[in-house]
Amino acid sequence: MKNPSISYFLILTLSLIAPTTTKAQSVESIPEPVIPAQLDRRQVHIPKISATDIEVGAFAGILSVQDFGANPSFGIRLGYHVTEDYFVEGTYGHSTVSDQSFRRLGIAIFSKEEIDLTYYNLSIGYNLFPGEVFVGKDWAMTSAVYLVGGVGNVNFNSENHTAFDFGIGIRVLPVDWVAMRFEMRDHMFSSDLLGKNELKHNFEMTLGVGAYF
Amino acid sequence: MRPLHAGGEYIHGLRFSVKMGTAEGSRRHACGGNPNRLAAWCIYVLVALALPVSADEANEHVLVADPYLELHTAPGRGYPIFDIAERGERVEILKRHTDWFKVRTARGKEGWVSRVQMEATLTEAGERKTFRDVLFDDYLARRMEFGFSFGTFNRDPLLSVYTGYRVHDNFLVELTIAQSAGDFSSTSLYYASLVSQPFPDLRWSPFVALGWGRFTNTPKSTLVSANQTKGDLANATIGLRYYVTRQFFLRIEAKQHVLLVNYDKTNPYTELSAGAAFFF
Repeated sequence: MKNPSISYFLILTLSLIAPTTTKAQSVESIPEPVIPAQLDRRQVHIPKISATDIEVGAFAGILSVQDFGANPSFGIRLGYHVTEDYFVEGTYGHSTVSDQSFRRLGIAIFSKEEIDLTYYNLSIGYNLFPGEVFVGKDWAMTSAVYLVGGVGNVNFNSENHTAFDFGIGIRVLPVDWVAMRFEMRDHMFSSDLLGKNELKHNFEMTLGVGAYF
Repeated sequence: MRPLHAGGEYIHGLRFSVKMGTAEGSRRHACGGNPNRLAAWCIYVLVALALPVSADEANEHVLVADPYLELHTAPGRGYPIFDIAERGERVEILKRHTDWFKVRTARGKEGWVSRVQMEATLTEAGERKTFRDVLFDDYLARRMEFGFSFGTFNRDPLLSVYTGYRVHDNFLVELTIAQSAGDFSSTSLYYASLVSQPFPDLRWSPFVALGWGRFTNTPKSTLVSANQTKGDLANATIGLRYYVTRQFFLRIEAKQHVLLVNYDKTNPYTELSAGAAFFF
Protein backbone atom coordinates (compact mmCIF):
# COMPACT_ATOMS: atom_id res chain seq x y z
CA MET A 1 0.00 0.00 0.00
CA LYS A 2 1.93 2.98 -1.29
CA ASN A 3 -0.64 5.58 -0.63
CA PRO A 4 -0.61 6.82 2.98
CA SER A 5 -4.10 8.30 2.69
CA ILE A 6 -5.67 4.90 1.92
CA SER A 7 -4.14 3.31 4.98
CA TYR A 8 -5.38 6.32 6.94
CA PHE A 9 -8.91 5.53 5.82
CA LEU A 10 -8.57 1.84 6.58
CA ILE A 11 -7.53 2.63 10.13
CA LEU A 12 -10.49 4.95 10.51
CA THR A 13 -12.86 2.32 9.11
CA LEU A 14 -11.61 -0.21 11.61
CA SER A 15 -11.91 2.23 14.47
CA LEU A 16 -15.52 2.90 13.42
CA ILE A 17 -16.47 -0.77 13.26
CA ALA A 18 -14.69 -1.75 16.48
CA PRO A 19 -17.16 -0.25 19.03
CA THR A 20 -20.18 -1.87 17.36
CA THR A 21 -18.70 -5.37 17.29
CA THR A 22 -17.87 -5.27 20.99
CA LYS A 23 -21.43 -4.17 21.68
CA ALA A 24 -22.80 -7.10 19.66
CA GLN A 25 -20.67 -9.57 21.65
CA SER A 26 -21.83 -8.21 24.98
CA VAL A 27 -25.47 -8.63 23.89
CA GLU A 28 -24.87 -12.28 22.95
CA SER A 29 -23.21 -13.10 26.28
CA ILE A 30 -26.32 -12.23 28.36
CA PRO A 31 -27.77 -15.52 29.73
CA GLU A 32 -31.40 -16.41 29.05
CA PRO A 33 -33.74 -15.28 31.87
CA VAL A 34 -35.13 -18.02 34.10
CA ILE A 35 -38.58 -16.49 34.22
CA PRO A 36 -39.55 -15.06 30.83
CA ALA A 37 -40.85 -11.52 31.22
CA GLN A 38 -44.47 -11.12 30.20
CA LEU A 39 -44.66 -7.75 28.62
CA ASP A 40 -47.41 -6.24 26.55
CA ARG A 41 -46.02 -5.44 23.18
CA ARG A 42 -46.25 -1.74 22.47
CA GLN A 43 -48.98 -1.20 19.93
CA VAL A 44 -47.56 1.13 17.36
CA HIS A 45 -50.23 3.23 15.75
CA ILE A 46 -49.15 5.84 13.25
CA PRO A 47 -51.85 8.49 13.03
CA LYS A 48 -53.36 9.26 9.66
CA ILE A 49 -53.00 13.01 9.91
CA SER A 50 -51.97 14.84 6.80
CA ALA A 51 -49.15 17.23 7.58
CA THR A 52 -48.95 20.53 5.72
CA ASP A 53 -45.38 21.50 6.54
CA ILE A 54 -43.98 21.52 3.02
CA GLU A 55 -44.45 24.59 0.89
CA VAL A 56 -44.00 24.54 -2.88
CA GLY A 57 -44.19 27.78 -4.79
CA ALA A 58 -43.08 30.02 -7.61
CA PHE A 59 -42.14 33.66 -7.72
CA ALA A 60 -41.45 36.42 -10.22
CA GLY A 61 -39.97 39.87 -9.85
CA ILE A 62 -37.06 42.11 -10.64
CA LEU A 63 -33.40 41.42 -9.89
CA SER A 64 -30.98 44.31 -9.93
CA VAL A 65 -27.37 43.19 -10.47
CA GLN A 66 -24.89 45.80 -9.28
CA ASP A 67 -23.20 47.63 -12.20
CA PHE A 68 -25.46 45.92 -14.76
CA GLY A 69 -29.02 47.20 -14.28
CA ALA A 70 -32.24 45.42 -13.43
CA ASN A 71 -33.93 42.58 -15.27
CA PRO A 72 -37.00 40.38 -14.72
CA SER A 73 -36.39 37.28 -12.64
CA PHE A 74 -38.43 34.22 -11.80
CA GLY A 75 -37.92 31.06 -9.81
CA ILE A 76 -39.24 28.23 -7.72
CA ARG A 77 -39.22 27.73 -4.00
CA LEU A 78 -39.37 24.66 -1.76
CA GLY A 79 -39.83 25.25 1.93
CA TYR A 80 -40.34 23.29 5.11
CA HIS A 81 -42.02 24.76 8.18
CA VAL A 82 -40.18 23.28 11.13
CA THR A 83 -42.01 25.09 13.93
CA GLU A 84 -44.48 27.95 14.01
CA ASP A 85 -41.49 30.31 14.24
CA TYR A 86 -38.84 28.79 11.99
CA PHE A 87 -38.79 27.55 8.43
CA VAL A 88 -36.11 26.49 6.00
CA GLU A 89 -36.32 26.97 2.28
CA GLY A 90 -34.41 26.55 -0.92
CA THR A 91 -34.93 28.73 -3.95
CA TYR A 92 -33.77 28.47 -7.51
CA GLY A 93 -34.02 31.55 -9.69
CA HIS A 94 -33.27 32.67 -13.20
CA SER A 95 -32.64 36.12 -14.61
CA THR A 96 -30.48 37.83 -17.20
CA VAL A 97 -27.61 40.32 -17.00
CA SER A 98 -26.96 42.90 -19.67
CA ASP A 99 -23.77 44.91 -20.36
CA GLN A 100 -25.67 47.26 -22.70
CA SER A 101 -24.58 50.42 -20.86
CA PHE A 102 -20.91 49.38 -21.13
CA ARG A 103 -21.28 48.56 -24.80
CA ARG A 104 -22.61 52.06 -25.42
CA LEU A 105 -19.20 53.30 -24.26
CA GLY A 106 -17.47 50.76 -26.48
CA ILE A 107 -16.54 48.24 -23.76
CA ALA A 108 -17.93 44.70 -23.95
CA ILE A 109 -17.84 42.82 -20.65
CA PHE A 110 -19.64 39.64 -21.69
CA SER A 111 -19.41 37.57 -24.86
CA LYS A 112 -22.88 38.77 -25.85
CA GLU A 113 -25.06 41.64 -24.77
CA GLU A 114 -27.44 39.71 -22.55
CA ILE A 115 -26.38 36.59 -20.68
CA ASP A 116 -28.20 34.21 -18.34
CA LEU A 117 -27.91 34.36 -14.57
CA THR A 118 -29.02 31.51 -12.33
CA TYR A 119 -28.87 31.31 -8.60
CA TYR A 120 -29.84 28.99 -5.79
CA ASN A 121 -29.77 29.43 -2.08
CA LEU A 122 -30.68 27.68 1.13
CA SER A 123 -32.00 29.84 3.90
CA ILE A 124 -33.45 29.81 7.38
CA GLY A 125 -36.46 31.99 7.98
CA TYR A 126 -37.97 33.39 11.14
CA ASN A 127 -41.56 34.56 11.41
CA LEU A 128 -40.91 37.84 13.16
CA PHE A 129 -44.40 39.32 13.38
CA PRO A 130 -47.19 36.77 12.93
CA GLY A 131 -50.59 38.36 12.64
CA GLU A 132 -53.68 38.85 10.61
CA VAL A 133 -54.58 41.01 7.63
CA PHE A 134 -58.17 42.23 7.44
CA VAL A 135 -59.95 42.64 4.14
CA GLY A 136 -63.30 44.33 4.68
CA LYS A 137 -65.42 43.36 7.65
CA ASP A 138 -65.69 39.59 7.28
CA TRP A 139 -62.37 38.33 6.00
CA ALA A 140 -59.25 37.88 8.13
CA MET A 141 -56.19 36.34 6.53
CA THR A 142 -53.30 34.84 8.51
CA SER A 143 -50.07 36.71 7.82
CA ALA A 144 -46.48 37.00 8.97
CA VAL A 145 -43.63 39.40 8.45
CA TYR A 146 -40.55 37.21 8.23
CA LEU A 147 -36.78 37.52 8.03
CA VAL A 148 -34.82 35.15 5.88
CA GLY A 149 -31.08 34.62 5.47
CA GLY A 150 -28.80 32.02 4.02
CA VAL A 151 -26.10 31.02 1.61
CA GLY A 152 -26.09 30.00 -2.00
CA ASN A 153 -24.51 30.33 -5.34
CA VAL A 154 -24.90 32.82 -8.18
CA ASN A 155 -23.75 31.77 -11.63
CA PHE A 156 -23.30 34.12 -14.57
CA ASN A 157 -20.62 34.64 -17.21
CA SER A 158 -19.57 30.96 -16.59
CA GLU A 159 -18.49 31.76 -13.05
CA ASN A 160 -19.80 30.60 -9.69
CA HIS A 161 -19.98 33.09 -6.87
CA THR A 162 -20.76 32.04 -3.31
CA ALA A 163 -23.54 34.37 -2.26
CA PHE A 164 -25.05 35.33 1.06
CA ASP A 165 -28.63 36.41 0.99
CA PHE A 166 -30.69 38.34 3.45
CA GLY A 167 -34.25 39.48 3.10
CA ILE A 168 -37.53 40.51 4.61
CA GLY A 169 -40.96 39.61 3.40
CA ILE A 170 -44.62 39.38 4.18
CA ARG A 171 -46.65 36.22 3.75
CA VAL A 172 -50.45 36.28 3.57
CA LEU A 173 -52.63 33.16 3.55
CA PRO A 174 -56.05 33.70 1.91
CA VAL A 175 -56.94 30.09 2.84
CA ASP A 176 -54.89 27.91 5.16
CA TRP A 177 -53.05 26.06 2.38
CA VAL A 178 -52.22 28.93 0.01
CA ALA A 179 -49.47 31.44 0.78
CA MET A 180 -48.87 34.66 -1.10
CA ARG A 181 -45.63 36.53 -0.55
CA PHE A 182 -44.02 39.84 -1.20
CA GLU A 183 -40.30 39.76 -0.55
CA MET A 184 -37.15 41.90 -0.76
CA ARG A 185 -33.81 40.14 -0.77
CA ASP A 186 -30.20 41.16 -1.10
CA HIS A 187 -27.91 38.61 -2.77
CA MET A 188 -24.35 39.54 -1.82
CA PHE A 189 -21.26 38.13 -3.48
CA SER A 190 -17.77 39.34 -4.26
CA SER A 191 -16.74 39.71 -7.87
CA ASP A 192 -13.62 40.91 -9.70
CA LEU A 193 -15.39 41.26 -13.04
CA LEU A 194 -14.71 45.00 -13.29
CA GLY A 195 -11.05 44.77 -12.28
CA LYS A 196 -11.36 45.04 -8.51
CA ASN A 197 -12.60 42.38 -6.13
CA GLU A 198 -15.44 43.86 -4.12
CA LEU A 199 -18.70 42.86 -2.47
CA LYS A 200 -21.67 43.40 -4.78
CA HIS A 201 -25.21 43.98 -3.55
CA ASN A 202 -27.93 42.62 -5.79
CA PHE A 203 -31.44 43.45 -4.70
CA GLU A 204 -34.40 41.39 -5.75
CA MET A 205 -38.06 42.19 -5.27
CA THR A 206 -40.51 39.35 -5.88
CA LEU A 207 -44.14 38.37 -5.66
CA GLY A 208 -44.78 34.71 -5.07
CA VAL A 209 -47.51 32.18 -4.53
CA GLY A 210 -47.20 28.77 -2.90
CA ALA A 211 -49.20 25.87 -1.58
CA TYR A 212 -48.78 23.88 1.63
CA PHE A 213 -48.64 20.11 1.32
CA MET B 1 -51.10 15.89 1.23
CA ARG B 2 -54.02 13.49 0.89
CA PRO B 3 -53.28 9.97 2.05
CA LEU B 4 -52.90 7.36 -0.69
CA HIS B 5 -55.90 5.35 0.37
CA ALA B 6 -58.16 8.26 -0.58
CA GLY B 7 -58.98 6.45 -3.83
CA GLY B 8 -60.74 3.70 -1.88
CA GLU B 9 -62.77 6.27 0.00
CA TYR B 10 -63.92 7.68 -3.28
CA ILE B 11 -65.43 4.36 -4.31
CA HIS B 12 -67.03 4.09 -0.92
CA GLY B 13 -68.45 7.57 -1.29
CA LEU B 14 -69.86 6.74 -4.70
CA ARG B 15 -71.60 3.62 -3.45
CA PHE B 16 -72.97 5.56 -0.54
CA SER B 17 -74.35 8.26 -2.80
CA VAL B 18 -76.03 5.79 -5.17
CA LYS B 19 -77.91 4.35 -2.23
CA MET B 20 -78.93 7.84 -1.19
CA GLY B 21 -80.09 8.50 -4.73
CA THR B 22 -82.52 5.60 -4.74
CA ALA B 23 -83.79 6.39 -1.28
CA GLU B 24 -84.64 9.92 -2.34
CA GLY B 25 -85.98 8.77 -5.70
CA SER B 26 -89.47 10.08 -4.93
CA ARG B 27 -88.19 13.64 -5.22
CA ARG B 28 -86.98 13.06 -8.74
CA HIS B 29 -90.12 14.14 -10.53
CA ALA B 30 -90.00 17.57 -8.95
CA CYS B 31 -87.08 18.56 -11.19
CA GLY B 32 -88.81 17.54 -14.47
CA GLY B 33 -87.05 16.92 -17.85
CA ASN B 34 -85.22 13.77 -18.97
CA PRO B 35 -85.24 11.38 -16.00
CA ASN B 36 -81.99 9.62 -17.03
CA ARG B 37 -80.00 12.80 -17.32
CA LEU B 38 -81.64 14.04 -14.17
CA ALA B 39 -80.67 10.88 -12.30
CA ALA B 40 -77.11 11.31 -13.52
CA TRP B 41 -77.13 14.89 -12.27
CA CYS B 42 -78.59 13.87 -8.93
CA ILE B 43 -75.90 11.20 -8.55
CA TYR B 44 -73.24 13.72 -9.50
CA VAL B 45 -74.48 16.22 -6.94
CA LEU B 46 -74.79 13.54 -4.27
CA VAL B 47 -71.28 12.26 -5.00
CA ALA B 48 -70.00 15.79 -4.60
CA LEU B 49 -71.88 16.05 -1.30
CA ALA B 50 -70.86 12.61 -0.13
CA LEU B 51 -67.14 13.05 -0.85
CA PRO B 52 -66.31 15.25 2.13
CA VAL B 53 -68.31 12.87 4.36
CA SER B 54 -66.29 9.88 3.17
CA ALA B 55 -63.07 11.84 3.61
CA ASP B 56 -64.05 12.46 7.25
CA GLU B 57 -64.16 8.74 7.91
CA ALA B 58 -60.46 8.51 7.05
CA ASN B 59 -59.56 11.17 9.59
CA GLU B 60 -58.35 10.51 13.09
CA HIS B 61 -60.81 11.11 15.94
CA VAL B 62 -59.89 11.75 19.55
CA LEU B 63 -61.76 12.29 22.83
CA VAL B 64 -61.01 15.40 24.83
CA ALA B 65 -59.57 14.46 28.25
CA ASP B 66 -58.60 17.90 29.56
CA PRO B 67 -61.38 20.19 30.89
CA TYR B 68 -61.41 21.77 27.43
CA LEU B 69 -59.47 22.28 24.19
CA GLU B 70 -58.90 25.80 22.98
CA LEU B 71 -59.59 26.49 19.32
CA HIS B 72 -57.43 29.22 17.82
CA THR B 73 -58.25 30.97 14.54
CA ALA B 74 -54.85 30.13 13.02
CA PRO B 75 -51.81 27.94 13.81
CA GLY B 76 -49.89 30.22 16.18
CA ARG B 77 -49.77 30.99 19.89
CA GLY B 78 -50.94 34.58 19.49
CA TYR B 79 -54.07 33.97 17.44
CA PRO B 80 -57.36 34.50 19.28
CA ILE B 81 -59.27 31.63 20.88
CA PHE B 82 -62.77 31.69 19.43
CA ASP B 83 -64.26 28.44 20.70
CA ILE B 84 -63.62 25.38 22.87
CA ALA B 85 -64.28 21.64 22.84
CA GLU B 86 -65.35 20.24 26.21
CA ARG B 87 -64.17 17.15 28.10
CA GLY B 88 -65.58 13.96 26.58
CA GLU B 89 -66.30 15.60 23.26
CA ARG B 90 -65.23 13.75 20.15
CA VAL B 91 -63.15 15.91 17.82
CA GLU B 92 -61.91 15.12 14.38
CA ILE B 93 -58.34 15.96 13.35
CA LEU B 94 -58.30 17.44 9.86
CA LYS B 95 -54.60 18.21 9.43
CA ARG B 96 -51.42 19.34 11.08
CA HIS B 97 -49.21 22.35 10.44
CA THR B 98 -45.96 22.38 12.47
CA ASP B 99 -47.09 21.83 16.09
CA TRP B 100 -50.71 22.79 15.49
CA PHE B 101 -53.66 20.55 14.67
CA LYS B 102 -56.73 21.69 12.80
CA VAL B 103 -59.74 20.04 14.41
CA ARG B 104 -63.48 19.99 13.84
CA THR B 105 -65.65 19.74 16.93
CA ALA B 106 -68.91 17.80 17.21
CA ARG B 107 -70.70 21.12 16.70
CA GLY B 108 -68.90 21.66 13.40
CA LYS B 109 -66.51 24.42 14.49
CA GLU B 110 -63.06 24.27 12.91
CA GLY B 111 -60.01 25.68 14.65
CA TRP B 112 -56.36 25.11 15.50
CA VAL B 113 -55.24 23.38 18.71
CA SER B 114 -51.65 23.28 19.99
CA ARG B 115 -49.81 19.98 20.30
CA VAL B 116 -49.45 20.41 24.07
CA GLN B 117 -53.26 20.43 24.47
CA MET B 118 -53.74 17.60 22.00
CA GLU B 119 -51.32 15.31 23.82
CA ALA B 120 -53.72 14.59 26.67
CA THR B 121 -56.61 13.58 24.41
CA LEU B 122 -57.51 9.89 24.11
CA THR B 123 -57.40 7.96 20.88
CA GLU B 124 -60.24 5.71 19.86
CA ALA B 125 -58.01 2.91 18.62
CA GLY B 126 -56.22 2.11 21.87
CA GLU B 127 -58.64 2.82 24.73
CA ARG B 128 -56.28 4.24 27.30
CA LYS B 129 -53.71 5.36 24.80
CA THR B 130 -53.24 9.09 24.71
CA PHE B 131 -52.55 11.07 21.62
CA ARG B 132 -49.15 11.80 23.14
CA ASP B 133 -48.18 8.14 22.66
CA VAL B 134 -49.40 8.27 19.08
CA LEU B 135 -47.28 11.33 18.39
CA PHE B 136 -44.32 9.64 19.99
CA ASP B 137 -44.78 6.62 17.70
CA ASP B 138 -44.91 8.99 14.77
CA TYR B 139 -41.74 10.71 15.97
CA LEU B 140 -39.88 7.41 16.32
CA ALA B 141 -40.99 6.38 12.85
CA ARG B 142 -39.22 9.32 11.26
CA ARG B 143 -36.07 8.19 9.54
CA MET B 144 -35.35 10.77 6.88
CA GLU B 145 -33.45 13.96 7.52
CA PHE B 146 -32.36 16.87 5.40
CA GLY B 147 -29.88 19.63 6.04
CA PHE B 148 -27.42 22.12 4.72
CA SER B 149 -24.22 23.62 5.97
CA PHE B 150 -21.74 26.30 5.19
CA GLY B 151 -18.02 26.32 5.86
CA THR B 152 -14.51 26.50 4.53
CA PHE B 153 -12.79 24.14 2.11
CA ASN B 154 -9.08 24.96 2.34
CA ARG B 155 -10.17 28.58 2.98
CA ASP B 156 -12.60 28.71 0.05
CA PRO B 157 -16.30 28.96 0.97
CA LEU B 158 -18.21 25.67 0.73
CA LEU B 159 -21.95 25.08 0.66
CA SER B 160 -23.24 21.54 1.29
CA VAL B 161 -26.68 19.97 1.11
CA TYR B 162 -27.34 16.50 2.41
CA THR B 163 -30.10 14.01 2.91
CA GLY B 164 -29.81 11.19 5.42
CA TYR B 165 -31.62 7.96 6.18
CA ARG B 166 -31.38 6.27 9.56
CA VAL B 167 -30.71 2.58 8.95
CA HIS B 168 -30.10 1.72 12.62
CA ASP B 169 -30.24 3.53 15.97
CA ASN B 170 -26.55 4.28 15.65
CA PHE B 171 -26.04 4.47 11.92
CA LEU B 172 -27.11 6.75 9.11
CA VAL B 173 -26.45 6.74 5.40
CA GLU B 174 -26.03 10.21 3.97
CA LEU B 175 -25.80 11.62 0.45
CA THR B 176 -24.11 15.00 0.13
CA ILE B 177 -23.71 17.50 -2.69
CA ALA B 178 -21.32 20.36 -2.07
CA GLN B 179 -20.06 23.29 -4.05
CA SER B 180 -17.14 25.58 -3.39
CA ALA B 181 -16.66 28.75 -5.41
CA GLY B 182 -13.11 29.93 -4.79
CA ASP B 183 -11.05 32.80 -6.16
CA PHE B 184 -9.38 30.66 -8.82
CA SER B 185 -11.69 27.72 -9.39
CA SER B 186 -14.97 26.16 -8.35
CA THR B 187 -15.21 22.62 -7.06
CA SER B 188 -18.28 20.40 -6.85
CA LEU B 189 -18.33 17.31 -4.70
CA TYR B 190 -20.86 14.57 -4.30
CA TYR B 191 -20.40 11.65 -1.98
CA ALA B 192 -22.16 9.02 0.10
CA SER B 193 -21.17 8.48 3.70
CA LEU B 194 -21.79 6.09 6.53
CA VAL B 195 -22.30 7.96 9.79
CA SER B 196 -21.87 6.40 13.19
CA GLN B 197 -23.61 8.13 16.07
CA PRO B 198 -22.56 6.28 19.23
CA PHE B 199 -24.85 8.24 21.60
CA PRO B 200 -28.00 9.07 19.61
CA ASP B 201 -30.01 9.94 22.75
CA LEU B 202 -27.79 12.79 23.91
CA ARG B 203 -28.76 16.35 23.22
CA TRP B 204 -25.14 17.07 22.24
CA SER B 205 -24.47 13.99 20.18
CA PRO B 206 -21.07 13.33 18.58
CA PHE B 207 -20.64 11.46 15.30
CA VAL B 208 -17.95 10.13 13.00
CA ALA B 209 -18.32 9.35 9.31
CA LEU B 210 -16.55 7.95 6.28
CA GLY B 211 -17.46 8.93 2.76
CA TRP B 212 -16.64 8.14 -0.83
CA GLY B 213 -17.62 9.98 -4.00
CA ARG B 214 -16.58 12.14 -6.95
CA PHE B 215 -15.31 15.68 -7.43
CA THR B 216 -15.11 18.10 -10.36
CA ASN B 217 -12.80 21.10 -10.32
CA THR B 218 -13.36 23.85 -12.89
CA PRO B 219 -10.87 26.75 -13.02
CA LYS B 220 -12.21 30.25 -13.64
CA SER B 221 -12.71 30.96 -17.32
CA THR B 222 -10.61 34.13 -17.03
CA LEU B 223 -7.52 32.06 -16.23
CA VAL B 224 -5.32 30.59 -18.98
CA SER B 225 -4.73 26.82 -19.31
CA ALA B 226 -8.04 26.15 -17.60
CA ASN B 227 -8.51 22.38 -17.58
CA GLN B 228 -11.34 20.67 -15.76
CA THR B 229 -10.23 17.95 -13.34
CA LYS B 230 -12.46 15.05 -12.29
CA GLY B 231 -11.80 12.16 -9.97
CA ASP B 232 -12.69 10.14 -6.89
CA LEU B 233 -12.67 11.51 -3.41
CA ALA B 234 -12.74 10.02 0.07
CA ASN B 235 -13.32 11.73 3.38
CA ALA B 236 -13.41 11.19 7.12
CA THR B 237 -15.45 13.31 9.51
CA ILE B 238 -15.85 14.06 13.17
CA GLY B 239 -18.72 16.23 14.27
CA LEU B 240 -21.31 17.18 16.83
CA ARG B 241 -25.09 17.53 16.63
CA TYR B 242 -27.14 19.71 18.92
CA TYR B 243 -30.88 19.03 19.02
CA VAL B 244 -32.66 22.39 19.24
CA THR B 245 -36.24 21.08 19.07
CA ARG B 246 -37.84 17.70 18.44
CA GLN B 247 -37.30 18.03 14.70
CA PHE B 248 -34.57 20.57 14.28
CA PHE B 249 -30.86 20.29 15.01
CA LEU B 250 -27.59 22.08 14.37
CA ARG B 251 -24.37 20.37 13.43
CA ILE B 252 -20.72 21.32 13.29
CA GLU B 253 -18.12 19.15 11.68
CA ALA B 254 -14.49 18.84 10.63
CA LYS B 255 -13.90 16.80 7.53
CA GLN B 256 -10.68 15.66 5.92
CA HIS B 257 -11.14 15.19 2.17
CA VAL B 258 -8.65 13.43 -0.06
CA LEU B 259 -9.12 14.12 -3.76
CA LEU B 260 -7.60 11.29 -5.78
CA VAL B 261 -6.41 13.28 -8.81
CA ASN B 262 -4.47 10.43 -10.42
CA TYR B 263 -2.26 7.44 -9.46
CA ASP B 264 0.58 9.62 -8.30
CA LYS B 265 -1.23 12.56 -6.81
CA THR B 266 -3.75 13.06 -4.02
CA ASN B 267 -4.83 16.49 -2.82
CA PRO B 268 -5.85 16.87 0.82
CA TYR B 269 -8.54 19.40 1.72
CA THR B 270 -9.80 20.29 5.16
CA GLU B 271 -13.42 21.28 5.58
CA LEU B 272 -14.82 23.03 8.65
CA SER B 273 -18.53 23.68 8.50
CA ALA B 274 -21.63 24.39 10.50
CA GLY B 275 -25.22 23.89 9.47
CA ALA B 276 -28.81 23.09 10.29
CA ALA B 277 -30.94 20.04 9.59
CA PHE B 278 -34.35 18.58 10.39
CA PHE B 279 -36.22 15.28 10.42
CA PHE B 280 -39.33 14.59 8.43
